[in-house]
Amino acid sequence: MMDLAQPDQFDLDRLAEDLGRLPDAPLAMPLQQLESAPRRGGLMALLRPGAAWLRKAGH
Amino acid sequence: MGAPLAPAGRVHVTRILVLAAALLAAALAFVVFLQFGASDGFDAFDPLRAGLIFASTFWLAWGAFTALLGLTTQPPAVPRDPGPVRAMTAVLVPVYNEDPVATFARIAAMDASLRATGFGDRFHFAILSDTRNDEVAARERIWFLRLLADTHGEGRIFYRRRTSNKGRKAGNIEDFIKRAGAAYTYAIILDADSLMEGATMVEMVRRMEAAPELGLLQTLPKVIRARSRFGRIMQFAGSFYSPVFARGLAMMQGRTGPFWGHNAITRVRAFAESCGLPELSGRPPFGGHILSHDYVEAALLARAGWTVRVDDDLQGSYEEAPENIIDHAKRDRRWCQGNLQHARLIFAPGLRGWSRFVFLQGILAYISPVFWLAFLAASIAAPLFAPPIDYFPIEYWPFPVIPVSQVSKALGLAIGIGGLLFLPKLLILADAALRGRARGFGGGFRALQSTMAELVFSSITAPIFLMFQTRSVLQVLRGADGGWPAQSRGDGTLSFGDAWAASHWIVTSGGAVLAFAQWLSPQLVPWLMPVALPMVLAPVIIALSSRPSRGGLFLTPAEASPAPVMGLHDAVLRRWQAETVALHAAA
Repeated sequence: MMDLAQPDQFDLDRLAEDLGRLPDAPLAMPLQQLESAPRRGGLMALLRPGAAWLRKAGH
Repeated sequence: MGAPLAPAGRVHVTRILVLAAALLAAALAFVVFLQFGASDGFDAFDPLRAGLIFASTFWLAWGAFTALLGLTTQPPAVPRDPGPVRAMTAVLVPVYNEDPVATFARIAAMDASLRATGFGDRFHFAILSDTRNDEVAARERIWFLRLLADTHGEGRIFYRRRTSNKGRKAGNIEDFIKRAGAAYTYAIILDADSLMEGATMVEMVRRMEAAPELGLLQTLPKVIRARSRFGRIMQFAGSFYSPVFARGLAMMQGRTGPFWGHNAITRVRAFAESCGLPELSGRPPFGGHILSHDYVEAALLARAGWTVRVDDDLQGSYEEAPENIIDHAKRDRRWCQGNLQHARLIFAPGLRGWSRFVFLQGILAYISPVFWLAFLAASIAAPLFAPPIDYFPIEYWPFPVIPVSQVSKALGLAIGIGGLLFLPKLLILADAALRGRARGFGGGFRALQSTMAELVFSSITAPIFLMFQTRSVLQVLRGADGGWPAQSRGDGTLSFGDAWAASHWIVTSGGAVLAFAQWLSPQLVPWLMPVALPMVLAPVIIALSSRPSRGGLFLTPAEASPAPVMGLHDAVLRRWQAETVALHAAA
């Protein structure tokens, strides 16, 4: 068995990384929708710029 | 198999009854206060104060009626299945700058406990390090190797450190699932300070096997290993009262139970399909990573049709807790920000109604103290705006009309609110004495002493927590950092200087409350003393309550008769601590 009190015998970081490696078994985790698109109906519609407010483009 | 769920109809009726009772109590408080407030003439402050009383009383009453509900039933006796366990389960231990000796010793203990069940080979442990401190990370690697050597855990116990802690704990778990999730049917999610009996973990897996629609099963972890006065009082309260509150909650949750972030098992496929958390649009505190991810994950599992359940009959699930008021308040600050962020999610598409209500409850838990404080401030300022008393309200009537004193109404209201605070705890005490549960707490008389002392302590510390929570809410709303000057020692003990540095603003606030009350409403001063005095004495209370606890009060079953896994943890810890010096020198 390795003697952990003698770290110069081996590369601790490499050893921990090798022995600690997780099983290679990927699983998808799709992002969930939590926010609704801003609503444009109801009261918000009153605040939407109407045709009369819009700056005309061109001639 | 597993704790049977109540029929949906009964769950709905129970929710409606408890909600109606809480609203009724709040409405009663509103009306009584309005009558009291208007006795010296109606002004704009009266409906404001009555509204604040309504909101605050609703929150108190909700908790009180949940506890009363919990007293009406007992956790179901679930027969244990002795059959084989075939599914593979990953036990996830996220760590973040924690002491690896203590944390990995818990893993060694749980591993030994699992092996004793005969199903150790069905469980793997994954230490998921988000540690930012390189020195701590170096110690983690050394102690991971020590853990492997001690448990012969190669191929069963894994360790990986993320280069960036994106998404914090939720991102840490997500990273595991994306890399290795397909290797496991279930994942038991722990905290660094969690400890579970092997038999409990096996039973959790069996309950998941028996209920294919179950997406997540939450246990009720008991606080253990508290040493300070504050810690042991919290530990007692958690062991003595929480099971009853959890029972009440279990009766109302139906298929939409809670996830408290740890000491729970989830079906990996369900979690992966349902719980990928996006960053919220906008900047923190309300945008960015979702901080209190557990509530959201429970809501998302329920949205996807999975059952989420808390089985309050499951024993052998433990955690540790802060040893002093400052550490408690620091943790509370994080939870406050996470819960307030849920305001963005209350109207998230497709969530179940109960999930939305749970978000609201979490927000109310932190907003409610602000309501109380606003009520106090409004009460002190009210005389400035009160109209002068009209002693001759009847035209041509030569004699003065002395207003009828409404002090009895104020007293009645105070007693009612006090009842909401104390009655559930006293009924839990009576229930524990009658059913024999008090034996684990040193017997009926000792449980009575402990409960009374806890009531006194919680009353004294309530104004201090009220101030910390109010500050947290205000900090979150303006996007400020917590800013904590105090550092506790290893055992959680705080000096008076530490306590003063963290709470001098509470002392100042308490003094200001008394001074303003004396100036504006001297008759209010005696009423304010139970709130203002603990504020003025906050550093003393904080420092003294962080001292080691001596005496037989606040005994819990886990102290009286430690669980086997605690004994295993102690044994590993003793052995490892003896080696600490040598290993650190080597590092």
